[in-house]
Amino acid sequence: MTDTPAPLRILMVDDESRILRALKALLREYTTFSTTNPLEAAALAKQHDVDVVICDQRMPEKVGVDVLREIKETHPRALRILLTGYSDLKAVLGSVNEGEVFRFVNKPWNNTELRDLVASAGQIAREAPVIARDVLPQAEHDRARTQVGVLVIEDDTAVQQRLREILQPYYKVNFANNAERALQIMEQNETGVVISETEAGRSDLTALLKALKLHHPHIATVVVTERANAATAIELINEGQVYRMLIKPVRMGTCRLSVDSAIGRYWQLKQNPQAARRFVAAAPNAESSTSALRLPAALLNRIRSLPGRLLGTMRA
Amino acid sequence: MLTIILVLLLAVCAGLGYELMRTRRQMLVLRAGHAESEDELKRLQASQSQVIHTTKLASLGQMVAGVAHEINTPLGFVKSNVEVVGDLLDDYRKLVKQYDAAVQICLQPVDLIFNADKASLDKLVKHVEEARRKLFEARAAVEKSPLLKDAKELLGDASEGLAQLSSLVLNLKGFSRVDRDGMDTMDLNEGIESALMIAQHQLRDRVKVVKQLQALPKVRCMPSQMNQVFLNLITNAAQAIDGDGTLTIASKAEGGQVQLDFTDTGCGIPDDVLPKIFDPFFTTKPVGEGTGLGLSIVHKIVKGHGGTIKVRTTPRKGTTFSVSLPVNGSGATAADA
Repeated sequence: MTDTPAPLRILMVDDESRILRALKALLREYTTFSTTNPLEAAALAKQHDVDVVICDQRMPEKVGVDVLREIKETHPRALRILLTGYSDLKAVLGSVNEGEVFRFVNKPWNNTELRDLVASAGQIAREAPVIARDVLPQAEHDRARTQVGVLVIEDDTAVQQRLREILQPYYKVNFANNAERALQIMEQNETGVVISETEAGRSDLTALLKALKLHHPHIATVVVTERANAATAIELINEGQVYRMLIKPVRMGTCRLSVDSAIGRYWQLKQNPQAARRFVAAAPNAESSTSALRLPAALLNRIRSLPGRLLGTMRA
Repeated sequence: MLTIILVLLLAVCAGLGYELMRTRRQMLVLRAGHAESEDELKRLQASQSQVIHTTKLASLGQMVAGVAHEINTPLGFVKSNVEVVGDLLDDYRKLVKQYDAAVQICLQPVDLIFNADKASLDKLVKHVEEARRKLFEARAAVEKSPLLKDAKELLGDASEGLAQLSSLVLNLKGFSRVDRDGMDTMDLNEGIESALMIAQHQLRDRVKVVKQLQALPKVRCMPSQMNQVFLNLITNAAQAIDGDGTLTIASKAEGGQVQLDFTDTGCGIPDDVLPKIFDPFFTTKPVGEGTGLGLSIVHKIVKGHGGTIKVRTTPRKGTTFSVSLPVNGSGATAADA
């Protein structure tokens, strides 16, 4: 006799009550809670022990990124979805770097896709263990950074030099100026953090980053880019689950902080591979994808067969 | 004597001829110069209309971004509701089908009763009792079902959303005046409302808008240009406010003039900047963010309509732009923008 699991509990936050009613009707098979007041969202999430939070970005009292960041701290078990009608870059960057959202969804949404997304997010929230904090205790961190490789993919020699100065003294860093070279390095070294531009030379790197995350979700990717645009950034969240997104010029402090916690994230996922499900990327959407270049099959195969031993996965 | 006169005459002629040649040469030089300055003028005019066109495109881009945001929210729930109502109706149909099945079960024994013996009659009673229970349940399910009420509510929201969307489109049409250009009479309050709608995405999270709009006589003007003026002043106010603040827009009519005040609680304009704000290409915004043309075009349009624009500002307190326009701007030679 198996118990049917209790329906998922979903919290919805939007200042437009008609959006809430629409979502409630769409997700009527689940237990839903909703509020038009973002200030009470975090308390509701905790009180009802919700599995998934769907939150609007632009609300008069508080923006969605701030709501989600608060929930990430007070009720980390819930997976967070940002639902927005207009995506300015600031909001998108905030949703990665601060809110660590699971998905970024644009209004008007697609009912089937949103329903499927909520179902899978809810399941992950219930089954996958939570990593409380990415920052490791000092001793453990020191051990991690001497073992875990940091790979920088960047073809601009000036930026490479700058990153070398910032990173070399603290981490095991390798540099690659294209996808081919990056894979060679990953085939030979345990790589936990990938720092990458969105393009090198004239080739698009986002396809590589997405494929890498799709097949090896425990690797933390930090995107460092000059030409930030909201659409690419959203794609990198949903299909690349980037860990952090930094805008050039790179500042030493931010960069070190990001790499430190990225190493912490990787290190903990290595010991707790089940938790990696929380950071699983969506399969690329052929229709909406803006990355003009598909990854060559040969490269894709090499990504798929990257040795688990070197990546720290503990597959049976 | 005669020879002397002749020589003198010749000399004069030669002098005159020389003079004539010089004048002609000068004239040629002048003509060339004139042609050059005419070319220069044409080039300047072309680049100015290019610039005005670019600003128009920039405000179009701003408009699209603003409107996209305003449209996507109602579009989000209208689209979802319409689909969900379809699902709800399917669910309701299932309930009705179950009810129908129950009715059929109830009807079966009726035929049997008429030609039944004593023993089977007892069985029939049991069957009827069971059937009655089923029918009762099915009917209760139909009656208690919230499906129709929910569907109706969702459709109600959807139709409100559609009303929102059509008023947005109407506003947009009113703003751009795509259907009629040129001189017209216009209620400037309406222009302010539509410009506010367009600038909504820059205001909504942080800038509170206070409207003190009095009834105004219709003003003879070029409505699309007026709207550009309003959008520019509202956008500037929004950008002058760092964080939270208030934008107050007041309008009133007085002695054949309409006066519009745009007051923000922003950073104000420093004394050394103030004299230059209406100069073309003057901007305090970082490279790439402002064209430096906004206020110069505002100035040009207001002047072109025979109006005036005044600024009062206190650094760190805020700024008021006061636009004054003649109601009957018949002599207006509106700016060629």
